[in-house]
Amino acid sequence: MKHKSAFVLLAAVPSIVFAADSRPRGVAPDFAKFYKSKDTFKCIYNPSIEVPFGKVNDDYCDCPDGSDEPGTSACSALSHLSPSYPIGASTLKLNSTQALPGFYCKNKGHQGSYIPFEIVNDGVCDYELCCDGSDEFDHAGGVSCPDKCKEIGKEWRKKDEARQKSMTSALKRRKELVVEAQRRRKEVEERITSLGTEIKGQEMKVKSLEEALAEAEKKDRGRMFHGSGKGGKTRVLSGLAKARIQQLRDTLTEVKTQRDDLKSRVKQLEDLLTRFKTEYNPNFNDEGVKQAVRAWDDYAAVDRGATAQDEGVEADILEILKPDSETEGINFAEFENEDEDDVDMLYQLEAYLPASLKEWIAEKYSEFKKFLQTNGVIAVSSDSEVKESPAVTTARTSLSDAEKRLRELTSDRDNHEAEMTKDYGPDSVFRALKGTCVSTDSGEYTYELCWMDKTKQKPKKGGGDTNMGNFVSFGKITVDESLPADGRGLGKGERLTMKYENGQGCWNGPSRSTTVVMACAEKDEIWKVFEEEKCVYRMDVGTAAVCEIVGARKQSEDTVGKDEL
Amino acid sequence: MAAIWYRQTGVSLVVLWVFLLSLFSAIGAVKHGDFKKCDQSGFCKRNRQYADTAKATANSWASPYKLDQPTIKLQNGKLTATILKSLEDSTELVKLPLTVSFLKSGVARIEIDEEKRQKGLIELRHGSKVRKERYNEAADWAIVGGLDLGAAKIKASDKTQTVVQFGPDYTYEAYIYHNPFRVDFMRDGKVHVKLNGKGYMNMEHWRPKIEKPIEEVKEGEVKEGETKESEAPAVEPSIDESTWWEETFGGNTDSKPRGPESVAMDIAFPGYEYVFGIPSHAGPLSLRETRGGGDEKYDEPYRMYNSDVFEYEMDSPMTLYGAIPFMQAHRKNSTVGAFWLNGAETWVDIVKSKSGSNPLSLGTSSSIDTETHWISETGVLDVFVLLGPSPKEIIKTYTDLTGTTSMPPQFAIAYHQCRWNYVTDEDVKDVDRKFDKFNIPFDVIWLDIEYTEGKKYFTWDKQTFPDPLGMQKQLDAHDRKLVAIIDPHIKNAAGYHVSDELKSKDLAVKDKSGDNIYQGWCWPGDSHWSDCFNPTTRKWFEGLFKYKSWEGSATNTFVWNDMNEPSVFNGPEVTMPKDNVHYGGWEHRDLHNINGMTFHNATYTALLNRDKVPKRPFALTRSFFAGSQRLSAMWTGDNQADWSHLATSIPMVLSLNIAGYPFSGADVGGFFGNPSSELLTRWYQAGIFYPFLRAHAHIDTRRREPYLSGEPYTGIITKALRLRYSLLPVWYTAFYESSKTGAPIVRPNYYVHPDDETGFDIDDQFYIAGSGLLTKPVTAEGETKVDVYIADNERYYDYFDYSIIAGAGEDHTLDAPLDKITLLMQGGHIIPRKDRPRRSSGLMKYDPYTLVVVLDSKGYANGTLYIDDGESYDFVDGAHIYRSFEFKDNKLTSDNLSTSGRKTKEYLKSMSKVRIERVIVVTAPSEWESRKEVSVLQDGKKTKTQLFWHKGDGKKASWAVVGNPGVFVGSSWSIDFS
Repeated sequence: MKHKSAFVLLAAVPSIVFAADSRPRGVAPDFAKFYKSKDTFKCIYNPSIEVPFGKVNDDYCDCPDGSDEPGTSACSALSHLSPSYPIGASTLKLNSTQALPGFYCKNKGHQGSYIPFEIVNDGVCDYELCCDGSDEFDHAGGVSCPDKCKEIGKEWRKKDEARQKSMTSALKRRKELVVEAQRRRKEVEERITSLGTEIKGQEMKVKSLEEALAEAEKKDRGRMFHGSGKGGKTRVLSGLAKARIQQLRDTLTEVKTQRDDLKSRVKQLEDLLTRFKTEYNPNFNDEGVKQAVRAWDDYAAVDRGATAQDEGVEADILEILKPDSETEGINFAEFENEDEDDVDMLYQLEAYLPASLKEWIAEKYSEFKKFLQTNGVIAVSSDSEVKESPAVTTARTSLSDAEKRLRELTSDRDNHEAEMTKDYGPDSVFRALKGTCVSTDSGEYTYELCWMDKTKQKPKKGGGDTNMGNFVSFGKITVDESLPADGRGLGKGERLTMKYENGQGCWNGPSRSTTVVMACAEKDEIWKVFEEEKCVYRMDVGTAAVCEIVGARKQSEDTVGKDEL
Repeated sequence: MAAIWYRQTGVSLVVLWVFLLSLFSAIGAVKHGDFKKCDQSGFCKRNRQYADTAKATANSWASPYKLDQPTIKLQNGKLTATILKSLEDSTELVKLPLTVSFLKSGVARIEIDEEKRQKGLIELRHGSKVRKERYNEAADWAIVGGLDLGAAKIKASDKTQTVVQFGPDYTYEAYIYHNPFRVDFMRDGKVHVKLNGKGYMNMEHWRPKIEKPIEEVKEGEVKEGETKESEAPAVEPSIDESTWWEETFGGNTDSKPRGPESVAMDIAFPGYEYVFGIPSHAGPLSLRETRGGGDEKYDEPYRMYNSDVFEYEMDSPMTLYGAIPFMQAHRKNSTVGAFWLNGAETWVDIVKSKSGSNPLSLGTSSSIDTETHWISETGVLDVFVLLGPSPKEIIKTYTDLTGTTSMPPQFAIAYHQCRWNYVTDEDVKDVDRKFDKFNIPFDVIWLDIEYTEGKKYFTWDKQTFPDPLGMQKQLDAHDRKLVAIIDPHIKNAAGYHVSDELKSKDLAVKDKSGDNIYQGWCWPGDSHWSDCFNPTTRKWFEGLFKYKSWEGSATNTFVWNDMNEPSVFNGPEVTMPKDNVHYGGWEHRDLHNINGMTFHNATYTALLNRDKVPKRPFALTRSFFAGSQRLSAMWTGDNQADWSHLATSIPMVLSLNIAGYPFSGADVGGFFGNPSSELLTRWYQAGIFYPFLRAHAHIDTRRREPYLSGEPYTGIITKALRLRYSLLPVWYTAFYESSKTGAPIVRPNYYVHPDDETGFDIDDQFYIAGSGLLTKPVTAEGETKVDVYIADNERYYDYFDYSIIAGAGEDHTLDAPLDKITLLMQGGHIIPRKDRPRRSSGLMKYDPYTLVVVLDSKGYANGTLYIDDGESYDFVDGAHIYRSFEFKDNKLTSDNLSTSGRKTKEYLKSMSKVRIERVIVVTAPSEWESRKEVSVLQDGKKTKTQLFWHKGDGKKASWAVVGNPGVFVGSSWSIDFS
């Protein structure tokens, strides 16, 4: 037999307990009062209609609200889901809403429950809902459903006990998680404080190293000055430099041309593929085409870096490419006629530039070079060293290291500060789970949920992982699911969710996304993964993180009724 | 399921760029470029030219076919003779043996063969090993009865003509003219069908290829999609030899070892303006003219060459997945038909013309003649002429020949939930649970190709379907079934037992060499095709279906045959090369349209024989031919989630129903694409009136099980499905009666009202069998009203509120908001239904019935009800209930219509508690107002039961309810209202 728990409206605790035998079949204690008379029965919602009591449960629907048939399927068609037919004389205002929530199985030895009238006497023993077999009292087609409440009740109680126990442990675990989360928060706070101190220290260090460097440079300049050759050397050098720069400029021009050409070819290809993606016929289920489009989506999704930066590089290059003159670049004429005393200046061309620009150029240069190298445009070669005294080099390295460290520390602190304001769910409990993942096998995939991070699909047959979404936010959803005996299910009610979005783009569909729906459980585990619609996944997940004192009780109330006495 | 792959797929995967580029070039060329137009199909072009010549030279045209008078013999209802064909370039006369069989049913069958080929006196080119005869086995597949010869006598005979009287009481006459050979069929003194009246008859006789070096070169130049334009003017068609010997299309060259061999004939219906049939085409029920083009006419003939047509077009004569070469012509109070029994590629031209010039048509009431021209690539000429005189009799005689739909298991006519694909066994179980949770009934869940291990049929993907039996057990708990797909292509993979056996036992289709197994590309990649024309293949196939062999199959597993056109991704026109060789040495071209039927026939037999005590099989097929209706349900193939496809599905299903194939339906929701909630809802509201009701969706579409739509849609869809379930007694009875008579399950207006000329071409509303239920689905977006055409003077009542709709020969505008299904009840019928909603049809077995008695203007109504166990063949031995209900003179009676057998008693006992719980009388007389009781007579006992009368308000009919009369469905009884 299968679940029908969606329709199981388990009985609330009856305030007055009637003697079971006095109620007609299918009547719950709550409704017993309507069935007390032995002569006539008044339809519950339409008391103006009276039928002889003998017509109660005679398998013919007399009452427009179905209340005369609490124990048969005769009035099961009274539903907005069934075709509607005229129900009575137009002179009467009749209420045709079903008066009863369902057929009540007493389930003595277990819990009483309502089952839908549709499944009464249909020839199927629905033991999960009606363990006493009273739903098949008419033995349609010869079916026989002996009372199994004793075993089922026992089994259920056993499981329920385990479930309760597990709930208790789950609550305990949640408390631990909250403590852990708090600890981690504290850790972060402490870290921020300590980072603050460290940053201050580092700032001072940077300052002192700057001074040290300035000192070293000063000394070095003196050395260079002394070591400089006679007049005329500068001129020679200037000539050489000019030639060399021209050579470099020519090369750069050529490289730029090549790059522009490649850029336009890439653009051409990308346009081709973009058109392919929009124009291919998605109805051909061709795995090859699908893979190609998927791969293209992935490729297209990779951030190619800010274009502004590219524009900067471009502007630099254009700047560099301008021929040297009085107004642009280096005015060689100046050097050609200059005193040799200024030779040191040649070595320190950069010194002419403001410090910030200097640094920026160096950075751009190295980036650009790296770009060219990684793209195979130019060969990797060792940097030609600028001749500089070891003392200056050391000082410079120390300074840049210190500066780097300072930047790191600052960003670390900024991150931690941002972290403090981020939503980690109720009691920030998910702070304790961040960085951990759970996974489960389902069909041809292993699914992985990394808390507050990503959901992933890993094919067992091999091939790359598919990102099913990145954590975006928390939410809530109302669910109504069957709760298996082992408690590994969402049950009924409002549940906390985590929304993971913007995963890998889907063939002929949106980017993958996952809604992680969580219910209280002792162990963190994925219960079920399914594709609700194309590329929209749902994971039903158990975790102690969502157990709450109130929530836990509510959840158990949904499933636990009261034994029929 | 089943779209086409672009044919280069397989080979182009190697290099991504090459592959992508090849796709760019393919975009936009997929649809039309893949399929031939008439002038790309040599024999069609030749025969159309032949007809053009005949027409253009009408005065001087002489058909070269002459009946050799001395050879004429009539014996035991069979006339034999020889037709002599004279040739332009030779004095030789080609002998064509003629047989005309006058059948007991009044049908005349005309067969023409070629003597030289019968005797094998021809030579095949390319050392081909194929058969020398013209293909003559189509009848072995299509015909199952009705061939008993009847009485026939020669009324008159002279040099020019032979007149044969035949049919019921010799009331039919065949005027056989000798020179040129032609035949006029008369009934009631009027000509109804004319064969070769226009002289388009053409049997391209065998001839040796005369090598002309210049011609050779020209032939070599014939390129894809085009045939060489003849230098000669069209008036001399015999000169156009360009398509005689080789034809190339889509990069594939057809070697044509037998040369040109087409058969063609004109069949005219004088005085008949409407012709119906020759499914399957996506167009109106009333067939369009095929010459001229424009708004009303096509400019291409209707084509029948079973094909996996990807994203088929609306309102088109293009071929689809199956073919039934049966056409009926209709005019006021007369229906006649022609059944062109040929399994090869066939084209039909239709032209309508004002008559008057023909003296023989004088006296007919209509002034329009319909002339049709049938052209087949190969085979003998075999045509059945059916003289009616009503639509009912036409279909009866047609199904006497080709068989009726066998009684399906009950679940098969309930709701089927399909998707390409339910991805795991857990997924299937979850869908099963969800339906219950939302209180939506369903009977069958389907698995498309993905359930298999690498598209190897008869296997299960162990990762995704680790426990098929557990899954089927869960389904079985609520009497639900599983349908799994099994296709005819077999993956060419070593170690796959099906493939290994196919090869080792030599059971596959061969390539043109006749020796090598044909290799093509389909879902699994490299594949072979099982040749079900071979009895050994079928026997072997049977074995594969045994529970032991197909592990994971259970007694509630049934089968879906797809791709059996056959679909071959890299073949010409997405199918096999025509020069492939089948069992018996026949070329694929000879039997292409029959191929699909052989496969589902094998499936059906396999399912029948898998249990010790056979149960009724269920198989669904995409490809079909005349006769397929006996064995399988069919669906209209890969449609789209588009309003136009919803609208067209109705004439398509009607067309199949009047062509003897009632068990048909279209994919609810549309296969390709995502329907809007409104479209999906409307499609369900229409789909519940398809005889075969299945929702299906492509793998790339969003999930759309009805419970996902959300309110109000889910509720409305549920209501629609519950309506189908509550009316299952009507549907089941209709299927039973159709299994006896071949009658359509859904019936167009002309069938029900053959004398109402206004309604002959109405194809967007229809009746459900003989129940008097008339529906008109909404098939346009945003529509909230429908115009229902009422043909007759009887009053109609809204099914749900008994509103009165009356007025013959006009449209009635009715409100049809989204939650309203337009369903009317014609006065005069008794409609049995089951009102209690259940999870599946199997769980409704013992539920009581409600009878809705809809009185006609004379206070009369009748109806029938058939019941059996829904799955076994016990009904053959009398284990069934068949009742007639009649309301007459204020008395409702239930009478037995069944004949009892050895299992009757036991069955009736098992059903003895099943009651009629309620009788509703619509348009109940006002005299009943004061009546509180009616008397019931059953088993000689008289009891009283309550009557509740409800007054109508003028717009709505008065109605009355007899509550719980205590009568049983299996008993005879009467209820007296007087």
